Amino acid sequence: MPEQMSRRTLTGTGATPRAAVGTVVWYSRDSDLGDPDETSVDPPTELERFEDAREAARAELEAERERTAERVGEQEADVFDAHLQFLNDPQIESGVSSGVENDLPAEHAVKRAFADPIEQFQDMDGRMAERADDLRDVRDRLIRLLTGSERVDLGDLPDGAVVLAERLTPSDTAQLDPGRVAGFATVTGGRTSHAAIFARSLALPAVVGIGDELHEVEEGATVVVDGETGELCLDPSDEHREEAMATGEVDVRTDPVSTADGRAIEVAANVGQPAELDGVRAQGADGIGLYRTEFLFLDRQSPPDEDEQYDAYTTALETFPDGRVIVRTLDIGGDKPIPYLDLPDEENPFLGERGIRRSLDSDTELFETQLRALLRAAADGDGELAVMFPLVTTVDELDAALETVGAVAKQLDAENVAHAVPELGVMIETPSAVFAAPELAERVDFLSVGTNDLTQYTMAAARGNENVEALRDPTQPAVLRAIERTVDAAHENDAWVGMCGEMAGDPDLTELLVGLGFDELSMSAVTVPDVKAAVRSIHTDDAAAHATRALDAATGEQVRTQLNE
Amino acid sequence: MSSELERVVTVVPEAGLHARPAATFVETVTDADSDVQIAHATDDDDDLTPAASMIAVTSLGVEHGEEIRIVADGPDAAATLDALERVLTTPEDELGGENATATDADATTDTNA
Repeated sequence: MPEQMSRRTLTGTGATPRAAVGTVVWYSRDSDLGDPDETSVDPPTELERFEDAREAARAELEAERERTAERVGEQEADVFDAHLQFLNDPQIESGVSSGVENDLPAEHAVKRAFADPIEQFQDMDGRMAERADDLRDVRDRLIRLLTGSERVDLGDLPDGAVVLAERLTPSDTAQLDPGRVAGFATVTGGRTSHAAIFARSLALPAVVGIGDELHEVEEGATVVVDGETGELCLDPSDEHREEAMATGEVDVRTDPVSTADGRAIEVAANVGQPAELDGVRAQGADGIGLYRTEFLFLDRQSPPDEDEQYDAYTTALETFPDGRVIVRTLDIGGDKPIPYLDLPDEENPFLGERGIRRSLDSDTELFETQLRALLRAAADGDGELAVMFPLVTTVDELDAALETVGAVAKQLDAENVAHAVPELGVMIETPSAVFAAPELAERVDFLSVGTNDLTQYTMAAARGNENVEALRDPTQPAVLRAIERTVDAAHENDAWVGMCGEMAGDPDLTELLVGLGFDELSMSAVTVPDVKAAVRSIHTDDAAAHATRALDAATGEQVRTQLNE
Repeated sequence: MSSELERVVTVVPEAGLHARPAATFVETVTDADSDVQIAHATDDDDDLTPAASMIAVTSLGVEHGEEIRIVADGPDAAATLDALERVLTTPEDELGGENATATDADATTDTNA
């Protein structure tokens, strides 16, 4: 079938169970300039072209700096200062001149001049490696200006654009107008990359980690991006387009749901930014099962004060006057740059000082301020507040955290400030927490299983590393059994138990999770309707039997076979 | 007459010699008439690197609390060292925004004097 031959399909990792059809807009293509044509190079002309491009880049950077300072904040604009200095760097300047004198066109000379410093930073640890991204940014800006390629403004894309990019950083996605973008696909990234999580939180169809093949897709091409199958289909048939458009329809259910035999399951959403709150509500979430508070602390020069935090928490509570909002206390470590915290450059930040460890040790003041804001919000806000602690690995840590809560309550008492102690819980993210689950559950109101980290730590498979993506599967027998143990420990100690990882949002696994005994499931807002629909079709007895069979399986493949029956 | 001067300074900004403090540092060097080189305080002369290069300065990986050695050579060497010391000993939150304007302006005047 010759028609089929022309219909190429590229495969990556689906990020969202939605599909869409749209027109390709390339955002950040890694500078692929082809071979230089050295015969027509006039060094003085090329040097002048470079100077002009540099002048134009400087003007752009200054304008962006201004705009960001106004729209977002002075601290967020800092990165442009660094870029301006990289632009002026004498090392780059001399690299470009020597390239041009060796008959390279200016854009090739720029590419070559940046190659060494990028590699040098790339090989360093932690946040030094991020400087490589800064340099790439500056390099690509110059090359874009030199080659006269169109500049893509992510905030002003044509309707129905499918954005293709090497990768999308938080600052890229912050600019994206979700009302206009049909979806996106990236060369790099896995299911838990920033781009994928962003796509899910906004219900945007997306496929990540397609690889270099993506470069072959041309600007302006019509494609179907299918986040369900993980495919990007080039030149799709009419039927395929219609089918893709149909999955865009979301069936929103606004009421809480129960299984077919009447067991209530709370279906909540994970939230990382206040901007998501309305969308989460519109998707029919009963509440927030994981309210990440890092947004309050990142990208600024000093920590938010108590009142700013109080406002953020009460706003979330007001969005769900009849529901529950579970706030996770600050979960930060050496992998995220926070200028006002003395975050160590750690060889392995995921096994370092992060989460509750920092709150109890280096950031005690920050922790107390956050707890003060939370206890005040618990008394004043609509809706029901709950608070949970991240990365608890020992009972001692939990005891210390609970003691701090007590001390903060006492303080507020003494100051005559209205407050209430909310429901308290522990995130179960490590094998150590699983083994300590009975003692942890005894001390709190609830446990919440963070499957992304629990899978990473149980399987020793790093998040974001595509090479071990297959191991990072929460349906691996070891992870399933850890989850079972946690659920049982919670219930035996009169605590309720929820799940707030990616796994909770997979409607194909809802029966398994209900069968294991979960009371609450929290997920990206986009999957809430599908999971609610799944819950309503489940009989708890069948689900329990289904879970037992999955737990008996010895291999990941056997688990999947059981789940598909 | 050689006018080479040097000074050892402890880096105060929380961010170390990265991002904004590094950018301000390099800008101050660029504005000066002296040649400026820096290194970790414990390094040899061989390790001195040009301070007018953001790449070179950032790649030193200088963190908050570390000492660096600054060598300035030129007509305004002393003033340049003063200005650079001020950049390195000003906490970051005073470097940016309106609070910083006075400090930055002073530094620039000194340097050009």
